Amino acid sequence: MKPQSLMKRLLLPVALGLVILGLSGCFVGAIGSAVRGTSPFVAQPEIHLPSQPVFPQEVRDCHLGLGPCPEDDSHGVTEPVKAKDAAHGAAEAKPHAKPLGAMQFAVTNTLLAAWFATLVIILFFVLGTRKRSLVPGRFQGLVETLIEGVLSFATGVVGAEMARKALPVVGTIFFFVLFNALLSLFPFYQFLGFVQDGEIKAHLLRSPGTDVNMPMALALVSFAFVEYWGLRAHGLGYFKKFFAFGKLLKGNILGGLIDLFVGFLELISELVRVVSFTFRLFGNMTAGEILVVMVTFLAPFVFIQIFFALELLVALIQSVIFAGLTLVFLSVAVHHEEHH
Amino acid sequence: MTALGINIPSLIAYLVNFVILLGVLYLFAYKPLLKVLDQRSERIRESLAAADQAREAAASSQATIQQQLDEARRQGQHLLDQAREAAGRYREEEMGRARNEAEAFVARARTDIQRERDAAIDEVRTHFGDLAITAAEQVIKKSLDRTAHHALIAQVLEEGGSLKPS
Repeated sequence: MKPQSLMKRLLLPVALGLVILGLSGCFVGAIGSAVRGTSPFVAQPEIHLPSQPVFPQEVRDCHLGLGPCPEDDSHGVTEPVKAKDAAHGAAEAKPHAKPLGAMQFAVTNTLLAAWFATLVIILFFVLGTRKRSLVPGRFQGLVETLIEGVLSFATGVVGAEMARKALPVVGTIFFFVLFNALLSLFPFYQFLGFVQDGEIKAHLLRSPGTDVNMPMALALVSFAFVEYWGLRAHGLGYFKKFFAFGKLLKGNILGGLIDLFVGFLELISELVRVVSFTFRLFGNMTAGEILVVMVTFLAPFVFIQIFFALELLVALIQSVIFAGLTLVFLSVAVHHEEHH
Repeated sequence: MTALGINIPSLIAYLVNFVILLGVLYLFAYKPLLKVLDQRSERIRESLAAADQAREAAASSQATIQQQLDEARRQGQHLLDQAREAAGRYREEEMGRARNEAEAFVARARTDIQRERDAAIDEVRTHFGDLAITAAEQVIKKSLDRTAHHALIAQVLEEGGSLKPS
Protein backbone atom coordinates (compact mmCIF):
# COMPACT_ATOMS: atom_id res chain seq x y z
CA MET A 1 0.00 0.00 0.00
CA LYS A 2 1.28 3.44 -0.89
CA PRO A 3 2.01 5.67 2.07
CA GLN A 4 -0.12 8.43 0.64
CA SER A 5 -3.21 6.29 0.38
CA LEU A 6 -2.53 5.00 3.90
CA MET A 7 -2.41 8.59 5.12
CA LYS A 8 -5.66 9.32 3.32
CA ARG A 9 -7.34 6.30 4.82
CA LEU A 10 -6.10 7.15 8.28
CA LEU A 11 -7.06 10.81 8.07
CA LEU A 12 -10.75 10.36 8.66
CA PRO A 13 -10.54 7.92 11.61
CA VAL A 14 -7.85 10.07 13.25
CA ALA A 15 -9.87 13.25 12.78
CA LEU A 16 -12.99 11.52 14.08
CA GLY A 17 -11.06 10.16 17.06
CA LEU A 18 -9.72 13.63 17.84
CA VAL A 19 -13.19 15.14 17.70
CA ILE A 20 -14.57 12.43 19.98
CA LEU A 21 -11.63 12.84 22.35
CA GLY A 22 -12.08 16.61 22.36
CA LEU A 23 -15.78 16.39 23.06
CA SER A 24 -15.27 13.80 25.77
CA GLY A 25 -12.61 16.13 27.20
CA CYS A 26 -15.20 18.86 27.38
CA PHE A 27 -17.61 16.41 28.90
CA VAL A 28 -15.38 15.11 31.68
CA GLY A 29 -13.49 18.37 32.22
CA ALA A 30 -14.44 21.16 34.52
CA ILE A 31 -17.02 22.60 32.13
CA GLY A 32 -18.88 19.32 31.64
CA SER A 33 -18.63 18.36 35.29
CA ALA A 34 -20.08 21.69 36.37
CA VAL A 35 -23.07 21.03 34.12
CA ARG A 36 -23.38 17.45 35.28
CA GLY A 37 -22.66 18.30 38.90
CA THR A 38 -19.77 15.85 39.31
CA SER A 39 -16.11 16.35 40.12
CA PRO A 40 -13.88 17.14 37.15
CA PHE A 41 -11.46 14.66 35.57
CA VAL A 42 -8.52 16.89 36.42
CA ALA A 43 -8.58 18.42 39.88
CA GLN A 44 -8.70 22.16 40.16
CA PRO A 45 -5.09 23.34 40.02
CA GLU A 46 -3.55 25.45 42.73
CA ILE A 47 -1.50 28.33 41.46
CA HIS A 48 1.60 29.18 43.44
CA LEU A 49 3.44 32.20 42.20
CA PRO A 50 6.65 31.50 44.15
CA SER A 51 8.45 28.29 43.31
CA GLN A 52 8.14 25.44 45.76
CA PRO A 53 11.09 24.08 47.70
CA VAL A 54 11.56 20.37 47.10
CA PHE A 55 14.84 19.64 48.86
CA PRO A 56 15.72 19.31 51.69
CA GLN A 57 12.65 17.49 52.88
CA GLU A 58 12.15 19.52 56.10
CA VAL A 59 11.86 22.73 54.13
CA ARG A 60 9.43 21.08 51.72
CA ASP A 61 7.31 19.73 54.58
CA CYS A 62 7.31 23.13 56.21
CA HIS A 63 6.37 24.73 52.91
CA LEU A 64 3.52 22.32 52.36
CA GLY A 65 2.40 22.59 55.95
CA LEU A 66 3.12 18.92 56.56
CA GLY A 67 5.77 19.28 59.21
CA PRO A 68 7.40 21.69 61.59
CA CYS A 69 9.36 24.58 60.13
CA PRO A 70 13.03 25.06 60.90
CA GLU A 71 13.55 27.81 63.43
CA ASP A 72 15.64 30.13 61.30
CA ASP A 73 13.06 30.96 58.64
CA SER A 74 10.14 31.74 60.93
CA HIS A 75 10.95 35.38 61.51
CA GLY A 76 8.81 37.79 59.64
CA VAL A 77 7.51 35.26 57.16
CA THR A 78 5.35 32.75 58.91
CA GLU A 79 3.17 35.22 60.76
CA PRO A 80 1.74 37.13 57.80
CA VAL A 81 1.06 33.88 56.00
CA LYS A 82 -0.67 32.47 58.98
CA ALA A 83 -2.67 35.67 59.28
CA LYS A 84 -3.62 35.36 55.62
CA ASP A 85 -4.65 31.77 56.18
CA ALA A 86 -6.83 32.82 59.03
CA ALA A 87 -8.38 35.51 56.89
CA HIS A 88 -9.36 32.91 54.31
CA GLY A 89 -11.16 31.14 57.13
CA ALA A 90 -12.45 27.64 57.28
CA ALA A 91 -13.51 27.61 53.63
CA GLU A 92 -10.01 26.52 52.74
CA ALA A 93 -9.10 23.94 55.29
CA LYS A 94 -5.94 22.95 53.41
CA PRO A 95 -2.80 24.46 54.84
CA HIS A 96 -1.55 27.21 52.56
CA ALA A 97 1.81 26.82 50.97
CA LYS A 98 4.32 28.98 52.69
CA PRO A 99 6.88 30.66 50.46
CA LEU A 100 10.56 30.57 51.20
CA GLY A 101 12.06 33.44 53.08
CA ALA A 102 14.02 35.90 50.99
CA MET A 103 17.33 34.64 52.40
CA GLN A 104 16.41 31.02 53.00
CA PHE A 105 18.09 28.47 50.79
CA ALA A 106 16.38 25.41 49.43
CA VAL A 107 16.46 23.62 46.13
CA THR A 108 13.21 24.68 44.52
CA ASN A 109 11.46 22.80 41.75
CA THR A 110 12.30 25.60 39.30
CA LEU A 111 15.97 25.50 40.23
CA LEU A 112 15.95 21.73 39.77
CA ALA A 113 14.33 22.17 36.37
CA ALA A 114 16.94 24.78 35.47
CA TRP A 115 19.70 22.31 36.38
CA PHE A 116 17.99 19.68 34.30
CA ALA A 117 17.72 22.08 31.35
CA THR A 118 21.36 23.06 31.82
CA LEU A 119 22.32 19.41 31.65
CA VAL A 120 20.25 18.92 28.51
CA ILE A 121 21.77 22.00 26.86
CA ILE A 122 25.29 20.89 27.71
CA LEU A 123 24.65 17.37 26.43
CA PHE A 124 23.04 18.71 23.28
CA PHE A 125 25.87 21.06 22.41
CA VAL A 126 28.76 18.93 23.58
CA LEU A 127 27.47 15.89 21.70
CA GLY A 128 26.65 18.04 18.72
CA THR A 129 30.13 19.50 18.49
CA ARG A 130 32.08 16.43 19.61
CA LYS A 131 33.13 15.35 16.14
CA ARG A 132 33.90 18.64 14.52
CA SER A 133 34.25 17.89 10.84
CA LEU A 134 34.34 20.37 7.99
CA VAL A 135 31.54 18.44 6.36
CA PRO A 136 28.99 18.22 9.19
CA GLY A 137 26.64 15.34 9.89
CA ARG A 138 22.99 15.90 10.68
CA PHE A 139 23.37 16.53 14.39
CA GLN A 140 26.38 18.78 13.99
CA GLY A 141 24.52 20.55 11.22
CA LEU A 142 21.59 21.20 13.54
CA VAL A 143 23.83 22.55 16.32
CA GLU A 144 25.74 24.66 13.83
CA THR A 145 22.54 26.01 12.35
CA LEU A 146 21.35 27.07 15.80
CA ILE A 147 24.61 28.77 16.75
CA GLU A 148 25.04 30.31 13.32
CA GLY A 149 21.47 31.54 13.52
CA VAL A 150 22.18 33.35 16.78
CA LEU A 151 25.46 34.63 15.36
CA SER A 152 23.88 36.03 12.21
CA PHE A 153 21.08 37.55 14.29
CA ALA A 154 23.71 39.21 16.49
CA THR A 155 25.67 40.30 13.41
CA GLY A 156 22.58 42.03 12.11
CA VAL A 157 22.24 44.04 15.31
CA VAL A 158 25.77 44.82 16.50
CA GLY A 159 27.97 44.06 13.51
CA ALA A 160 30.19 41.09 12.74
CA GLU A 161 33.07 41.88 15.09
CA MET A 162 30.99 42.59 18.17
CA ALA A 163 28.66 39.69 17.39
CA ARG A 164 31.49 37.20 17.87
CA LYS A 165 32.30 38.72 21.25
CA ALA A 166 28.65 38.80 22.25
CA LEU A 167 27.83 35.31 21.03
CA PRO A 168 28.72 33.36 24.19
CA VAL A 169 26.57 35.42 26.54
CA VAL A 170 23.74 36.17 24.14
CA GLY A 171 23.71 32.62 22.80
CA THR A 172 23.66 31.15 26.29
CA ILE A 173 20.80 33.44 27.29
CA PHE A 174 18.92 32.48 24.15
CA PHE A 175 19.41 28.74 24.56
CA PHE A 176 18.79 28.78 28.28
CA VAL A 177 15.46 30.56 27.89
CA LEU A 178 14.48 28.46 24.88
CA PHE A 179 15.39 25.07 26.31
CA ASN A 180 13.79 25.86 29.66
CA ALA A 181 10.56 26.92 28.02
CA LEU A 182 10.48 24.00 25.61
CA LEU A 183 11.43 21.35 28.16
CA SER A 184 8.72 22.55 30.52
CA LEU A 185 6.14 21.55 27.92
CA PHE A 186 7.02 17.88 28.45
CA PRO A 187 4.34 16.08 30.42
CA PHE A 188 6.70 14.85 33.13
CA TYR A 189 6.96 18.41 34.37
CA GLN A 190 3.27 18.09 35.18
CA PHE A 191 3.07 14.61 36.64
CA LEU A 192 6.28 14.22 38.64
CA GLY A 193 5.81 15.50 42.14
CA PHE A 194 5.36 14.87 45.81
CA VAL A 195 1.98 13.34 46.43
CA GLN A 196 -0.08 13.85 49.56
CA ASP A 197 -3.66 12.61 49.87
CA GLY A 198 -3.70 11.56 46.22
CA GLU A 199 -2.74 15.00 44.99
CA ILE A 200 0.55 16.39 43.83
CA LYS A 201 1.37 18.97 46.46
CA ALA A 202 4.65 20.08 44.98
CA HIS A 203 5.97 19.33 41.51
CA LEU A 204 9.48 18.01 41.20
CA LEU A 205 10.14 20.18 38.15
CA ARG A 206 8.57 23.45 37.15
CA SER A 207 9.31 25.80 34.30
CA PRO A 208 12.14 28.03 35.61
CA GLY A 209 10.69 31.00 33.77
CA THR A 210 7.84 30.96 36.25
CA ASP A 211 10.29 31.60 39.07
CA VAL A 212 11.06 35.31 39.18
CA ASN A 213 14.64 34.57 40.26
CA MET A 214 15.58 32.97 36.95
CA PRO A 215 14.56 35.88 34.69
CA MET A 216 16.08 38.22 37.23
CA ALA A 217 19.40 36.36 37.14
CA LEU A 218 19.38 36.53 33.35
CA ALA A 219 18.42 40.21 33.46
CA LEU A 220 21.34 40.90 35.80
CA VAL A 221 23.69 39.01 33.51
CA SER A 222 22.40 40.94 30.52
CA PHE A 223 22.73 44.22 32.43
CA ALA A 224 26.27 43.48 33.62
CA PHE A 225 27.25 42.34 30.14
CA VAL A 226 25.94 45.51 28.48
CA GLU A 227 27.56 47.81 31.06
CA TYR A 228 30.86 45.92 30.79
CA TRP A 229 31.03 46.40 27.03
CA GLY A 230 29.87 49.99 27.32
CA LEU A 231 32.69 50.67 29.77
CA ARG A 232 35.18 48.78 27.64
CA ALA A 233 34.22 50.70 24.54
CA HIS A 234 34.23 54.17 26.08
CA GLY A 235 36.19 53.88 29.32
CA LEU A 236 35.01 56.11 32.14
CA GLY A 237 33.52 58.38 29.50
CA TYR A 238 30.69 55.89 29.35
CA PHE A 239 29.30 57.39 32.57
CA LYS A 240 29.04 60.80 30.91
CA LYS A 241 25.82 59.49 29.42
CA PHE A 242 24.34 59.31 32.92
CA PHE A 243 26.14 62.12 34.71
CA ALA A 244 26.34 64.89 32.13
CA PHE A 245 28.02 67.73 34.01
CA GLY A 246 29.85 69.01 30.91
CA LYS A 247 27.60 71.95 30.04
CA LEU A 248 26.99 72.87 33.67
CA LEU A 249 30.73 73.18 34.34
CA LYS A 250 31.10 75.38 31.26
CA GLY A 251 28.53 77.78 32.77
CA ASN A 252 25.57 76.83 30.57
CA ILE A 253 23.06 76.55 33.41
CA LEU A 254 19.90 75.74 31.43
CA GLY A 255 21.55 73.31 29.01
CA GLY A 256 23.45 71.76 31.90
CA LEU A 257 20.29 71.18 33.89
CA ILE A 258 18.57 69.65 30.87
CA ASP A 259 21.59 67.40 30.31
CA LEU A 260 21.55 66.37 33.96
CA PHE A 261 17.87 65.55 33.75
CA VAL A 262 18.35 63.57 30.52
CA GLY A 263 21.26 61.74 32.12
CA PHE A 264 19.09 60.94 35.11
CA LEU A 265 16.42 59.56 32.79
CA GLU A 266 19.07 57.49 31.02
CA LEU A 267 20.22 56.11 34.36
CA ILE A 268 16.68 55.23 35.38
CA SER A 269 15.91 53.60 32.03
CA GLU A 270 19.15 51.63 32.29
CA LEU A 271 18.17 50.30 35.69
CA VAL A 272 14.55 49.74 34.77
CA ARG A 273 15.68 47.41 32.02
CA VAL A 274 16.54 44.82 34.64
CA VAL A 275 12.99 45.02 35.96
CA SER A 276 11.40 44.95 32.51
CA PHE A 277 13.61 42.05 31.41
CA THR A 278 12.68 40.15 34.56
CA PHE A 279 8.97 40.64 34.44
CA ARG A 280 8.58 40.26 30.70
CA LEU A 281 9.94 36.73 30.77
CA PHE A 282 8.46 35.89 34.16
CA GLY A 283 5.02 37.18 33.11
CA ASN A 284 4.99 35.39 29.79
CA MET A 285 6.19 32.08 31.17
CA THR A 286 3.87 32.22 34.17
CA ALA A 287 0.89 33.19 32.05
CA GLY A 288 1.65 30.35 29.63
CA GLU A 289 1.96 27.86 32.46
CA ILE A 290 -1.28 29.01 34.06
CA LEU A 291 -3.03 28.94 30.70
CA VAL A 292 -1.91 25.37 30.03
CA VAL A 293 -2.88 24.24 33.52
CA MET A 294 -6.28 25.93 33.37
CA VAL A 295 -7.14 24.61 29.92
CA THR A 296 -6.11 21.13 31.06
CA PHE A 297 -8.50 21.58 33.96
CA LEU A 298 -11.35 22.87 31.78
CA ALA A 299 -11.06 20.45 28.85
CA PRO A 300 -8.35 17.85 29.40
CA PHE A 301 -7.95 16.48 25.86
CA VAL A 302 -7.20 17.85 22.40
CA PHE A 303 -7.92 21.54 23.04
CA ILE A 304 -4.76 21.81 25.06
CA GLN A 305 -2.76 21.12 21.90
CA ILE A 306 -3.65 24.54 20.57
CA PHE A 307 -2.16 26.09 23.67
CA PHE A 308 0.91 23.87 23.46
CA ALA A 309 1.47 25.17 19.94
CA LEU A 310 1.06 28.68 21.29
CA GLU A 311 3.57 27.94 24.05
CA LEU A 312 6.10 26.64 21.51
CA LEU A 313 5.80 29.96 19.75
CA VAL A 314 6.00 31.91 23.02
CA ALA A 315 9.15 29.99 23.98
CA LEU A 316 10.84 30.99 20.75
CA ILE A 317 9.59 34.57 20.87
CA GLN A 318 10.66 35.11 24.47
CA SER A 319 14.14 33.72 23.90
CA VAL A 320 14.55 35.84 20.77
CA ILE A 321 13.30 38.92 22.62
CA PHE A 322 15.60 38.38 25.59
CA ALA A 323 18.64 37.84 23.39
CA GLY A 324 17.58 40.51 20.91
CA LEU A 325 17.03 43.22 23.52
CA THR A 326 20.37 42.40 25.12
CA LEU A 327 21.95 42.91 21.71
CA VAL A 328 20.09 46.16 21.10
CA PHE A 329 21.14 47.55 24.48
CA LEU A 330 24.66 46.36 23.80
CA SER A 331 24.64 48.13 20.47
CA VAL A 332 23.39 51.33 22.13
CA ALA A 333 26.00 51.09 24.89
CA VAL A 334 28.90 50.45 22.53
CA HIS A 335 27.95 52.98 19.88
CA HIS A 336 26.28 55.67 22.00
CA GLU A 337 28.99 58.24 21.34
CA GLU A 338 28.32 58.01 17.63
CA HIS A 339 24.73 59.05 18.11
CA HIS A 340 25.64 62.36 19.72
CA MET B 1 9.31 40.01 47.83
CA THR B 2 8.50 36.58 49.27
CA ALA B 3 4.98 36.55 47.85
CA LEU B 4 6.48 37.05 44.42
CA GLY B 5 9.09 34.44 45.20
CA ILE B 6 12.21 36.57 45.14
CA ASN B 7 14.84 34.53 46.93
CA ILE B 8 18.45 35.66 47.08
CA PRO B 9 20.06 32.21 47.35
CA SER B 10 17.98 31.03 44.39
CA LEU B 11 19.05 34.09 42.45
CA ILE B 12 22.68 33.38 43.23
CA ALA B 13 22.17 29.73 42.31
CA TYR B 14 20.72 30.76 38.93
CA LEU B 15 23.62 33.15 38.36
CA VAL B 16 26.17 30.45 39.20
CA ASN B 17 24.29 28.01 37.02
CA PHE B 18 24.34 30.48 34.16
CA VAL B 19 28.04 31.17 34.53
CA ILE B 20 28.81 27.44 34.54
CA LEU B 21 26.64 26.91 31.47
CA LEU B 22 28.30 29.86 29.77
CA GLY B 23 31.76 28.49 30.55
CA VAL B 24 30.97 24.98 29.37
CA LEU B 25 29.27 26.16 26.21
CA TYR B 26 32.10 28.58 25.51
CA LEU B 27 34.72 25.88 25.85
CA PHE B 28 32.85 23.03 24.18
CA ALA B 29 30.48 24.69 21.75
CA TYR B 30 31.04 28.30 20.76
CA LYS B 31 34.80 28.40 20.55
CA PRO B 32 35.38 25.14 18.65
CA LEU B 33 32.34 25.64 16.49
CA LEU B 34 33.31 29.16 15.49
CA LYS B 35 36.73 27.76 14.62
CA VAL B 36 35.15 25.11 12.44
CA LEU B 37 32.90 27.70 10.81
CA ASP B 38 35.88 29.94 10.14
CA GLN B 39 37.86 27.04 8.73
CA ARG B 40 34.97 26.07 6.54
CA SER B 41 34.43 29.57 5.21
CA GLU B 42 38.18 29.85 4.60
CA ARG B 43 38.08 26.53 2.78
CA ILE B 44 35.12 27.61 0.70
CA ARG B 45 36.83 30.89 -0.15
CA GLU B 46 39.97 29.01 -1.20
CA SER B 47 37.98 26.52 -3.24
CA LEU B 48 36.10 29.29 -4.98
CA ALA B 49 39.36 31.08 -5.75
CA ALA B 50 40.86 27.84 -7.07
CA ALA B 51 37.79 27.22 -9.18
CA ASP B 52 38.02 30.73 -10.58
CA GLN B 53 41.68 30.21 -11.34
CA ALA B 54 40.99 26.90 -13.03
CA ARG B 55 38.23 28.49 -15.07
CA GLU B 56 40.54 31.29 -16.14
CA ALA B 57 43.30 28.82 -17.01
CA ALA B 58 40.86 26.75 -19.01
CA ALA B 59 39.63 29.84 -20.82
CA SER B 60 43.16 30.99 -21.60
CA SER B 61 44.24 27.54 -22.81
CA GLN B 62 41.11 27.42 -24.90
CA ALA B 63 42.13 30.71 -26.44
CA THR B 64 45.66 29.39 -27.04
CA ILE B 65 44.32 26.26 -28.68
CA GLN B 66 42.03 28.33 -30.85
CA GLN B 67 44.93 30.56 -31.79
CA GLN B 68 47.07 27.56 -32.67
CA LEU B 69 44.26 26.05 -34.70
CA ASP B 70 43.82 29.29 -36.59
CA GLU B 71 47.53 29.47 -37.20
CA ALA B 72 47.63 25.87 -38.43
CA ARG B 73 44.65 26.46 -40.68
CA ARG B 74 46.27 29.56 -42.11
CA GLN B 75 49.51 27.71 -42.72
CA GLY B 76 47.67 24.80 -44.30
CA GLN B 77 45.77 27.17 -46.55
CA HIS B 78 49.01 28.85 -47.47
CA LEU B 79 50.66 25.53 -48.33
CA LEU B 80 47.64 24.51 -50.33
CA ASP B 81 47.73 27.78 -52.25
CA GLN B 82 51.44 27.35 -52.91
CA ALA B 83 50.92 23.78 -54.09
CA ARG B 84 48.04 24.83 -56.31
CA GLU B 85 50.09 27.64 -57.74
CA ALA B 86 53.09 25.36 -58.35
CA ALA B 87 50.85 22.80 -59.97
CA GLY B 88 49.37 25.46 -62.20
CA ARG B 89 52.74 26.75 -63.13
CA TYR B 90 54.00 23.24 -63.85
CA ARG B 91 50.97 22.49 -65.96
CA GLU B 92 51.45 25.67 -67.92
CA GLU B 93 55.10 24.84 -68.47
CA GLU B 94 54.36 21.28 -69.47
CA MET B 95 51.60 22.34 -71.76
CA GLY B 96 53.87 24.97 -73.36
CA ARG B 97 56.56 22.44 -73.90
CA ALA B 98 54.19 19.90 -75.32
CA ARG B 99 52.71 22.51 -77.62
CA ASN B 100 56.20 23.51 -78.83
CA GLU B 101 57.17 19.90 -79.36
CA ALA B 102 54.00 19.24 -81.23
CA GLU B 103 54.46 22.32 -83.33
CA ALA B 104 58.07 21.36 -84.06
CA PHE B 105 56.93 17.84 -84.90
CA VAL B 106 54.21 19.13 -87.16
CA ALA B 107 56.64 21.55 -88.87
CA ARG B 108 59.12 18.80 -89.38
CA ALA B 109 56.47 16.52 -90.76
CA ARG B 110 55.24 19.24 -93.03
CA THR B 111 58.78 19.82 -94.29
CA ASP B 112 59.22 16.08 -94.82
CA ILE B 113 55.94 15.87 -96.66
CA GLN B 114 56.84 18.84 -98.81
CA ARG B 115 60.14 17.32 -99.62
CA GLU B 116 58.62 13.94 -100.42
CA ARG B 117 56.03 15.62 -102.51
CA ASP B 118 58.62 17.68 -104.39
CA ALA B 119 60.65 14.53 -104.99
CA ALA B 120 57.55 12.68 -106.14
CA ILE B 121 56.53 15.47 -108.42
CA ASP B 122 60.04 15.70 -109.82
CA GLU B 123 59.97 11.99 -110.36
CA VAL B 124 56.54 12.10 -111.91
CA ARG B 125 57.53 15.02 -114.07
CA THR B 126 60.66 13.17 -115.19
CA HIS B 127 58.70 10.03 -115.92
CA PHE B 128 55.92 12.01 -117.51
CA GLY B 129 58.46 13.88 -119.74
CA ASP B 130 60.07 10.66 -120.76
CA LEU B 131 56.70 9.15 -121.33
CA ALA B 132 55.56 12.12 -123.32
CA ILE B 133 58.70 12.16 -125.36
CA THR B 134 58.51 8.48 -125.97
CA ALA B 135 54.88 8.91 -126.88
CA ALA B 136 55.70 11.83 -129.18
CA GLU B 137 58.55 9.85 -130.74
CA GLN B 138 56.19 7.11 -131.24
CA VAL B 139 53.67 9.50 -132.80
CA ILE B 140 55.86 11.61 -134.96
CA LYS B 141 58.39 8.93 -135.43
CA LYS B 142 61.20 11.20 -135.35
CA SER B 143 63.98 11.82 -132.93
CA LEU B 144 63.97 14.99 -131.18
CA ASP B 145 66.54 16.83 -129.10
CA ARG B 146 65.79 15.38 -125.63
CA THR B 147 67.14 18.35 -123.69
CA ALA B 148 65.29 20.87 -125.84
CA HIS B 149 62.07 18.97 -125.36
CA HIS B 150 62.46 18.66 -121.62
CA ALA B 151 62.75 22.41 -121.48
CA LEU B 152 59.70 22.67 -123.64
CA ILE B 153 57.70 20.29 -121.41
CA ALA B 154 58.76 22.09 -118.26
CA GLN B 155 57.51 25.27 -119.82
CA VAL B 156 54.23 23.68 -120.74
CA LEU B 157 53.81 22.37 -117.20
CA GLU B 158 54.67 25.70 -115.75
CA GLU B 159 52.04 27.32 -117.79
CA GLY B 160 49.62 24.63 -116.62
CA GLY B 161 50.69 25.41 -112.97
CA SER B 162 49.03 22.49 -111.29
CA LEU B 163 52.02 20.24 -110.88
CA LYS B 164 54.51 22.88 -109.89
CA PRO B 165 56.27 22.13 -106.62
CA SER B 166 55.24 24.73 -104.06
